[in-house]
Amino acid sequence: MDVKSVVQQWQKMATSVEEVDYAVSGYDYSICLEGATVPAFASMMLEAGFYLVDLMAVHVEPAIEVVYQLAHVETRCRVMARAFVDEKGEIPSITDIYQGANWHERETRDFHGVVFVGHPNLEPLILAEEDVDLKPLLKTEKTLKDVAAVRRGQPEDEAAKPEAVKSPEQS
Amino acid sequence: MNVEVLEDERHHRFVLNMGPQHPSTHGVLRVLLELEGEYAMSLLPVLGYGHRCHEKIAEFKPAKSFMPNTARMDYLGALIYNHGYAQLLEKATGVEAPRRAEYIRVITSELNRIQSHLLWYGAYLLDLGAFTPIMYAFDDREEILDILEDITGSRLTYCYYRVGGVCKDIDDKFVTRTRAFIDRLRGRFPMYDELVNGNVILQKRLINVGDLTPQTCYRYGITGPLLRGTGVAYDLRRAEPYSVYPEFDFEVPTETSGDCMASFKVRFREMEQSLRIIEQALDKLPEGPVMAAKVPKKLKIPAGDYNSSVEAPRGELSYYLVADGSDVPYRLKVRTPSFSNLSVVPEMCEGMLLSDVVSAMGSLDLVIPEIDR
Repeated sequence: MDVKSVVQQWQKMATSVEEVDYAVSGYDYSICLEGATVPAFASMMLEAGFYLVDLMAVHVEPAIEVVYQLAHVETRCRVMARAFVDEKGEIPSITDIYQGANWHERETRDFHGVVFVGHPNLEPLILAEEDVDLKPLLKTEKTLKDVAAVRRGQPEDEAAKPEAVKSPEQS
Repeated sequence: MNVEVLEDERHHRFVLNMGPQHPSTHGVLRVLLELEGEYAMSLLPVLGYGHRCHEKIAEFKPAKSFMPNTARMDYLGALIYNHGYAQLLEKATGVEAPRRAEYIRVITSELNRIQSHLLWYGAYLLDLGAFTPIMYAFDDREEILDILEDITGSRLTYCYYRVGGVCKDIDDKFVTRTRAFIDRLRGRFPMYDELVNGNVILQKRLINVGDLTPQTCYRYGITGPLLRGTGVAYDLRRAEPYSVYPEFDFEVPTETSGDCMASFKVRFREMEQSLRIIEQALDKLPEGPVMAAKVPKKLKIPAGDYNSSVEAPRGELSYYLVADGSDVPYRLKVRTPSFSNLSVVPEMCEGMLLSDVVSAMGSLDLVIPEIDR
């Protein structure tokens, strides 16, 4: 797989593409997407030979963020693609592209209440049918953090310097 | 959903509820089968009977103390789950495990992998109607459990790894017993081979049943022996080398047919490769401490997100951690291989004979607690 051409394709559809340090973060690229471009992104990734590792949600301020993890079998290229749900809590489903997303999306619906538009059967998977509105992984007002608080610090940020990371007592 | 007879007298279509206490589902998995005679026209796995809120628990206590939970997700690959999690926190906080600890991790993880494959081997053949192999497999597996019990203190749900190393050093007895076990299992492989692998009934049950292609695997996120059975040599120990695996010489076994027989053979050959890794690790075992000198009691994780992927017996295991700078994870997601592997069942088993469904589902090597988490 030619990573360069794939990165170029990402840059066309994503709001930001960032290469991250694999040794620290455990993945190679961080991509931010608009919710509406997720299906186009997924189709492109399937065509490039990526497989769907995981699909999950993280509850942050201002909105729930859905994270798609994809990786490639030939070249090491592990990607985290993120997209915020819209104001109605919706995001397009990718079940018709990556069929493995079917269960992941249902699980995310269980735990966070994200509605995946176009999903064929968005019923509870892990939780019982009567717990459909429980949404157990949503944060409370007290524990909810802004998205900036869970992002890796910028290089000039003291906490993110490699030396600082190596001795956690200081931070 | 209730068992119902559809209003089609001619075809006698009906819904059969298999599980959640059916022996061939290996745990509390429920599958709704729509049958037409002996053919399964559609399958609907129903999950969640063993959901224990591991991800929610993770958000309530210091990241370090989540280690025992990891072992309880996949009770057959507990040490490998420990490994992935220890590695995740080491990556995030910059703590480095000493080399001896990494070697011990590799040795014990590979023993754990063999143990998991042996259980799968016995239980799978039991599902297919062969009673004897499970006795032989458990005989060998028992030896691994004894070896690991001596060193870790438990037989199944290990919590042996720590952030920064392992909690106890191995001794000479461990090394001698492991070496003896390697010889013993190597001597048993030809017997396993003669006992079942060439058996014509087994071949009829496995060949051309449950076919997968690499493309199907990518769409569903199937990894591990199933993906390698379709001819893709993808093993995270090689593809995204972690720990000290790059220092060992081993192969990634593949088969090309993609059916149940392919993953059967792949798992078998994987055990041999694991033995090779253990042997090399014992030969090269470095001296030194087994715990990093300075691991802070309160392990603060710098803000950001971290991922750690390891090769579990059933495929790719990924931990994804979102940290907000405190010692408690903001969000921890565990990507378990069986979850993705099982999700292919409705597509894979459509139109199959019911007996083949058992065979195909057995070849997935399911561990239900890791699906439900």
